[in-house]
Amino acid sequence: MNEKKSEASASKALGVVFFLAGFIGALVLGWVVFPNLLYSQKAQPMNFSHVAHADNDCESCHTFRPDGTYTGVPRLDKCKECHETAQGTTEAERILVEEYVEKNREPMWKNYAWQPDNVYFSHAPHKGQGLECIRCHRDVTKEEKLPAYRENLITGYSISTMKMTECEECHAQKGVSNNCEICHK
Amino acid sequence: MKFGRRAFLQIAAGAVGGSLLSPLPWQLAGDSARWSQNWSWRPSPERGEITKVPSICTMCEGGCGIQARLVNGNRAILVEGNPANPVTEGGICPLGAAGLQFLYAPYRISRPLKQTKGRGNISGFQPITWDEALAELGKKLAIVRGESKAHTVACITSGRQSSMDDLWQQLFSAYGSQNLFKMPTQADGLRSSALLTTGIASPYTFALENATHVLSFGSNLLEGAAAPGRAFAALRQWRQNGNVKLVQVESRCSLTASKADQWLAVEPGAEAAIALSIAHVMIAGNTYDADFVKNNVFGFEDWTDSTGKRRQGFKTLVSSPTYSPEEIAKKAKVDAAAIRALAKDFAAQKNAIAVWNLGHSDLAFNTYDELAFVALNVLKGNIKTGGLVNLTADIPLGALPAVEKDALAENAAQQKRLDLTRDKTAPVPQNGLYGFLDSLAHGSKYPIEVLMVHEANPAYSLMESRLFQAALDKIKMLVSFSSFMDETACLADLVLPNHTALERLDDVKGIPAASFSYYAVSSPILKPLGDTKNTGDAVLALAGKIGGTVASSVPWKTYEEFLKFRVKGLAETQKGAVADKAGIRLTSAEPVKPNFKDGDDLWKKLKAGACWYDAPAEMPSFKTASGKLELACQAIPVAAAADDHMFLPHLFTIKLAGGEQDFPLLLVAHSTGYLTSGYLANPPFMNKLIPDWTLKGNEEFVDVNPQTAQSLGLSQGQSASLRTTQGEATVRVNVTSAARPGVVFLPKGLGHKAYDEYIQNKGTNANSLMEVLLDPVSGMGTVWATRAQLRRV
Repeated sequence: MNEKKSEASASKALGVVFFLAGFIGALVLGWVVFPNLLYSQKAQPMNFSHVAHADNDCESCHTFRPDGTYTGVPRLDKCKECHETAQGTTEAERILVEEYVEKNREPMWKNYAWQPDNVYFSHAPHKGQGLECIRCHRDVTKEEKLPAYRENLITGYSISTMKMTECEECHAQKGVSNNCEICHK
Repeated sequence: MKFGRRAFLQIAAGAVGGSLLSPLPWQLAGDSARWSQNWSWRPSPERGEITKVPSICTMCEGGCGIQARLVNGNRAILVEGNPANPVTEGGICPLGAAGLQFLYAPYRISRPLKQTKGRGNISGFQPITWDEALAELGKKLAIVRGESKAHTVACITSGRQSSMDDLWQQLFSAYGSQNLFKMPTQADGLRSSALLTTGIASPYTFALENATHVLSFGSNLLEGAAAPGRAFAALRQWRQNGNVKLVQVESRCSLTASKADQWLAVEPGAEAAIALSIAHVMIAGNTYDADFVKNNVFGFEDWTDSTGKRRQGFKTLVSSPTYSPEEIAKKAKVDAAAIRALAKDFAAQKNAIAVWNLGHSDLAFNTYDELAFVALNVLKGNIKTGGLVNLTADIPLGALPAVEKDALAENAAQQKRLDLTRDKTAPVPQNGLYGFLDSLAHGSKYPIEVLMVHEANPAYSLMESRLFQAALDKIKMLVSFSSFMDETACLADLVLPNHTALERLDDVKGIPAASFSYYAVSSPILKPLGDTKNTGDAVLALAGKIGGTVASSVPWKTYEEFLKFRVKGLAETQKGAVADKAGIRLTSAEPVKPNFKDGDDLWKKLKAGACWYDAPAEMPSFKTASGKLELACQAIPVAAAADDHMFLPHLFTIKLAGGEQDFPLLLVAHSTGYLTSGYLANPPFMNKLIPDWTLKGNEEFVDVNPQTAQSLGLSQGQSASLRTTQGEATVRVNVTSAARPGVVFLPKGLGHKAYDEYIQNKGTNANSLMEVLLDPVSGMGTVWATRAQLRRV
């Protein structure tokens, strides 16, 4: 009788161990392994030091149209205003001048914040509300080296692409409508 | 220890629990949604620099300001209204908003085509080069002219007002043919009634923006009117100000009627009877502008004609009991008290205007109906400088040089326009397109060797469309300049495709029925996608191929040079100003100060999407026999007027074909806001707006009153056979009180046989069922209803 009892409790303990093994294994997979597998690291065309350009204010390169809409990542013409010839000896400077300025080729910057096509996003109403850039974008004031661009293998978008929950939370806090058609037109 | 099924399940349970507490499933769920955005077959614009290009829409005659959004300057992704346009202030109609669907349409023609098999055989079209196409047509035109048969060349061009009209006119004058026609528009009716009453062939205009009471006779303002952008802007202003009353007199509860302050549901064709009855009440009650009438109007009182015969005036005629509300109410099947109330309201308001021919049909009312609406404005004293009704002012563009006519042109010009060679011609002829087709179909005085069709699709969009088919059998060569494989292009022997509206340099000469002057240049938003050519350039090239005085009469190398020449002329007059912002009161009578230096400066501003405007012009002095505004129209020859009332606005109905016994119902084809029925086919965006009670699958619905439906044994959604004196179609029935008893309403714009699977073979072409009647005074095609029967199938 006792033997039977201890066999049962040993089997129960073993069951817990198996369960925990599966549980912890899945947690490790989900929290540690999976995120590393999901994203691949992609190189930007060259490094860009925001600090080196800190004598300008943000909006002299990241320009907005009169209606408040954003004009996109600065294009080569903007770079050329100063970098028609090399301004220093860094590798990034060499790449910019030799590969892009001289060949008149647009650098294909990978965009850290690009939203999927099914989202309609305009900077105009957000900027109009007085939101600081860093509410959504990383603070680049002290950034000398561009962070690694990590691309989601399934979606092709950056790891830092903002998720819908973040949009919704902020809209809720500010009392802005969260109706579908506000963003999915 | 044994690793068995139990252990496996225990690990699996743990793994499920663990993963639910990790980001894995949630991340995968979100990622799969985002992943779907990258599927290769999902249309997605390329990424790149976004730019906005302002332009002017030329898809109808409205001339609305638009702006296009482009990626990298070569992929258009959006067309929206231009807020800087002072007329539309950012407004746009559904057709304009769907403009890109024509630019990227699969049914576009991307290069010249020649029919190598029988007419209408699509597989017979072979691509040829532009050199070959222009050489072939140029040679044909030169040969025909060389044989002294220049008058046998004809052209049907768009109803839109643009400089292309003047170029065609110049070409045809130099070539020696008078057979140049425009597709019918409602401006034809406003022009013809203006010609009869003022002696000037400029369409009447309406200062909608200054009115406080608008009595609309079937004008479908919300369905697009003649110029949707301006109509929407006027309606918006009326509703915002809140002090404008809109009364709609119409047989169907259209969108406009449903949004009006008052809807008077009349029998089809009885709109003018209501107008005359209102005149009866105003005259009887002495509530009309007697001073205006006394000083400016001829024919209100009895008069003496040129032969010395005493004639009845408008007052005597309309004062007869025939026009009393009680009598008219019986005819129009309305309440007599409603007519009296309408008349009282209309007379009491200081800024009351009667409007018509703004989006009722492409065809005008008959002449006497038109005159009845004019008469109401006469009684209100509206037709004067600064008044609510005026005449369209000419845009002072650079005048074309005098046409050099050689002997061939002089001789051919002796030959009358084909519609004027018929045995019974109209005494005051206007747009003769229907007369032209009618004479071809029924044995014309001379044959037509070449018919060119520009920016039009008459095989589909002309009412009584079988008339075009019958005429076409007598035409030896059909040339289409269409951008699309439409019904007419399918029948062509040669297709010389034009750029689409958004790829083309074009212009807009005035907004239909607008009291202010308006001119705009529509610049292309991107480079042409296919091997197409602006028809303006094609016409210049053809003139070069014909050579001689034809070539020297059109001395411009390119269409751009021609337009620049016209704008330079406009700049030299130093009249009007460029408007590049909203909020300008265009109907203000104050003189406008020019804000451009010279031709180059004006051209630059217009090319950048701004428009030129000028304040409403002064009423020119009347060119009638009496020198006054004529209610008794002396332009109508005495010989053609058997009776006194033939000079005057009066109750007049052109008899419909078919007997009441066989065809007990009336069919009315109507416009909607979600179907376009002109040169352009309904785009997919607008197809999405079509409600289930207009089209279900491929079957179109007709609106029928519950009472009528009951008497015919029809219920909602049931299939029925609709037969008219012109043709037959199977339809479904939509039972609705929006329809009058005894009348069947069929929307226009469906029933295409050409284009692509998204629009062809859906519903019925209303034009194929309608009967067009030739007006006895102007000779224009007119339509009010067609006799019909509806039977269960």
